[in-house]
Amino acid sequence: MELSEYVQKGFQMLADPGSFDSNTFTLLLRAAFQSLLDAQADEAVLDHPDLKHIDPVVLKHRHAAAATYILEAGKQRADRSTLSTYLEDCKFDSERIELFWTEYQNNRNSLEILLGSIGRSLPHITDVSWRLEYQIKTNQLDKMYRPAYLVTLNVENTDSRSHPEISFSCNMEQLQDLVGKLKDASKSLERATQL
Amino acid sequence: MLLDLSEEHKEHLAFLPKVDSAVVAEFGRIAVEFLRRGSNPKIYEGAARKLSVSSDTVQHGVEGLIYLLTESSKLMISELDFQDSVFILGFPEELNKLLLQLYLDNRKEIRTILSELAPDLPSYHSLEWRLDVQLASRSLRQQIKPSVTIKLHLNQNGDHNTQVLQTDPATLLHLVQQLEQALEEMKTNHCRRVVRNIKNPLGEME
Repeated sequence: MELSEYVQKGFQMLADPGSFDSNTFTLLLRAAFQSLLDAQADEAVLDHPDLKHIDPVVLKHRHAAAATYILEAGKQRADRSTLSTYLEDCKFDSERIELFWTEYQNNRNSLEILLGSIGRSLPHITDVSWRLEYQIKTNQLDKMYRPAYLVTLNVENTDSRSHPEISFSCNMEQLQDLVGKLKDASKSLERATQL
Repeated sequence: MLLDLSEEHKEHLAFLPKVDSAVVAEFGRIAVEFLRRGSNPKIYEGAARKLSVSSDTVQHGVEGLIYLLTESSKLMISELDFQDSVFILGFPEELNKLLLQLYLDNRKEIRTILSELAPDLPSYHSLEWRLDVQLASRSLRQQIKPSVTIKLHLNQNGDHNTQVLQTDPATLLHLVQQLEQALEEMKTNHCRRVVRNIKNPLGEME
């Protein structure tokens, strides 16, 4: 796990029981997790009365260090032993290691979901809507009398946050073809998950 | 329902009885070919030379034939109505029979061609799919994230358009379920009733 000197120093300072008692330590950790995971979080996370006695610059440094380490651990899917090893190297006592591990476990799922959702991917289909119509005539052709479907796929783009739609028409045979192929895909998926 | 042929149209068609049936049959073939692929003026010149007439005359004859066929096909007029409409032109019986046959033989295909002229939405052509599993990304290692990648082929106005999309297993099942419901809808009583009644609306005279 490679962290910058600034981050490492800040993190190591968290180990010192003189400048941070256990209570403060836990508060700071929780604030770090909250900053990362809560979409509405802002600087106010550090506004806890029990943190007021600490120099704001120092507080921010420790907070940033903790948050950076948490992200790195989450990214690497660190297990308990990896975490313990690193924390021991930073001179954390076993009580603090235990505290860290508890907070980490509590927030681990959300952290991994967050990290997993970052990144580029293809436009993602989220939903489908359809319309069935019966075509009677056009200005070029009378007495058509045939059913037709209009299918709209709702699509989400991860980076642009746009929601374009893809619409297309199809007749009954084409829709059957489409559904058949999607069913093949889902059967394949089922088989693959049983391997 | 009879066809309404304008004077100009009748004039153009008046060329047809002046040539023999084999030529009219050939014009018929050319007319349908032009509907399929677009017209080719060189053909008019070639025919005009062989028949010793102006290429304009040939062009008008063929175009008259095209219009006769497309109008009849568009309205889906009955055999009887077609015969009655053509009777007005005062052609010999043999020519009338030939024209009727031309109409009946080609009407289905002409209707297909005409249907492609309708206001066009992209239409479904085909679909390819692929199963993927994401193992890692820059922001998270050791993942197992299954997804389905789909290549959707659409047609619009003759252009082929491809969209590459992705979805997750749960959404895929949802898509299948929704679209199966869509297919089922056509079999319901409501839809069947509508289809039956529109095909034979009350009071329509043939």
